[in-house]
Amino acid sequence: MRVTAIFACVCILIAGCQDRPGPSGTVEISFWNGFSGPDGATMEEIVKDFNRENPRIRVKMEIIPWATYYDKVTLGLAFGGAPDVFVLHANRVPEFASHGALARQDDLIRRSKIDEGDFVPQVWKAGLWDEGRYALPLDVHPLGLYYNVDLFRKAGITSPPRTLDEFIATARKPTRTDERGEKQWGFAFTWLHSNGLTFLNQFGSGLLTDDLKRSAMDTPETKQALNLMLRLIEVEKVCPRPEGSDAWLGFQTGRVAMAMEGIYMKSGLDNQKDLNYAAAPVPQFGPVKAVWAGSHCLAMPAKQDSKRRQAAWQFIRYLSDHSIKWAKGGQIPVRKSILASKEFKDMPIQREFAKQLDYVRYEPFSVRFNQISVFGDAAIEAVVNRVESASKALRTASRRINRVLDQP
Amino acid sequence: MKQRRHTLTAWLFLMPFLILFSTFTVFPIFYGFWISLHRWHVLDQTAPFVGLGNYGNVLQDDLFSIALARTALFVLLTVPLGNLVSLLMAVGLNQRYRGQAIYRVCFYLPVVTSVSVVAVLWRWLYSTEFGLLNLLLGVKFPWLSNPNWVMPSLAILSIWWGAGGNMLIYLAALRAVPKDTLEAAEIDGAVGLRRFLSITVPAIKPAIVFCFVMGIIASSQVFGQTYILTGGGPNY
Repeated sequence: MRVTAIFACVCILIAGCQDRPGPSGTVEISFWNGFSGPDGATMEEIVKDFNRENPRIRVKMEIIPWATYYDKVTLGLAFGGAPDVFVLHANRVPEFASHGALARQDDLIRRSKIDEGDFVPQVWKAGLWDEGRYALPLDVHPLGLYYNVDLFRKAGITSPPRTLDEFIATARKPTRTDERGEKQWGFAFTWLHSNGLTFLNQFGSGLLTDDLKRSAMDTPETKQALNLMLRLIEVEKVCPRPEGSDAWLGFQTGRVAMAMEGIYMKSGLDNQKDLNYAAAPVPQFGPVKAVWAGSHCLAMPAKQDSKRRQAAWQFIRYLSDHSIKWAKGGQIPVRKSILASKEFKDMPIQREFAKQLDYVRYEPFSVRFNQISVFGDAAIEAVVNRVESASKALRTASRRINRVLDQP
Repeated sequence: MKQRRHTLTAWLFLMPFLILFSTFTVFPIFYGFWISLHRWHVLDQTAPFVGLGNYGNVLQDDLFSIALARTALFVLLTVPLGNLVSLLMAVGLNQRYRGQAIYRVCFYLPVVTSVSVVAVLWRWLYSTEFGLLNLLLGVKFPWLSNPNWVMPSLAILSIWWGAGGNMLIYLAALRAVPKDTLEAAEIDGAVGLRRFLSITVPAIKPAIVFCFVMGIIASSQVFGQTYILTGGGPNY
């Protein structure tokens, strides 16, 4: 008797948890992302605006920290419970698309007359896989050169560096040791992944060859790039060895004059009250114009009924059309019309970052990017920290990357 | 009849455990083995059977042997030293003095703390620029980012974290050492270290063996602290 009662209770509970159709045909769609920082609050505002302007659709946003985000999305897509709209980084789209987990958006783009010409051409490539569109880029977040205005002024520097020679000359000036033995640096490597890939790309190298079939790590170009990084540390002595230094904290506390970080770090810097900073495009270190970048792309699951699909697409469109609000929170929009707007031109930091949009460089759009990326990072780290010689580290990285690529 | 009733009762008592154990331990073990025989991706509709191919791949991968060697080194660093620390703490707590219970609680406290809390705490202690450890020592030592030092650093953390657990077992064993044997040894003139090595250590040998075996098993499964503190780096 009692067992039956409990069973009945459980049944009622389960039924209660399932989503019911809202009042008068409202479609409720779920939207997942990993914006657990200040960007989450910005996105929440945009979602609220959308819900107000579109009473027939109700978007429920769920923020899951990036550390566990992809596991949750993967499981949702595999076993049900996937969200109707979700964010994927550009470098992860090919992997999900290749397993047939994402819905193609080409028909929706055609029907809703989204103009490809309004997108920055370099960014339009993000979200494409095997000639199909599987996710729409919402933003682009390249590296930029953040610099400390006060340290620059004290050292008599009038403008941010643009070339390698200017960069070294600029970085030398604020580099010194104070009376208490505390070091102040002209420059510091923060995230070796993005900083290192920018150096590699500028010398014409990268993780993979252009056809994505082989590793491009074990090349003279990579060695040139890494040698330049070592030169900044050991010969010019304008940059601390990355090992054990929290360079970004150093920049925030005014002990590092320049650092290359993503635009998404802007809101964190704005909270640092006594920091007077500005931004500029990343200097030209090598012969090729390139700077590391990523994009948040908006995707939908392959399994989705047409009503939800329509609603989801309407929401994606809204996000793209209103990405000026998203830009304010520390992002670069990818629509030329928005980039040209006065509102965007009035954002001094974002505007500087956006000057690089013609030559931003994504990580290789390989199905196995997530598996191989770690090998490249480990090699760069080992070389600049002098743990291994460049030739040995790069040979090892290449072998491991090729091994992963060769698997069926 | 009565016998059968007893058996039935026993099974009923065992049932809750057995159900959970087979659902969450036995079944996943066999299911995991089944998955390992396929080229499996959670998002794919099909998973082709590859036999022992995945195992062959692992054996060819030099990262596998690197991982094995690193784990073995970690076990070597933590188990003997960790047990020594636990035993010394237990011997110290086995003396009679005031506030014994408080010390016992303090030493045991790290054991009940979750791995993420421990790891975040030690990240602050080990931080090169702002760490308490470097502040006290007056140096800028890269505890976690130097490939040669990261292992000892992780071992220190793990010993601190786990020492309390074994301490409790050793303490119980020390309490159980027969008093008359200790007295007899004293009458024969064996005191201090001599008495400890000849009487106490042989008497608590089962506890030592137990702690070593459990320690080796636990250390071989190390994951949390390394994952949170270094993310697997530097240099694997």
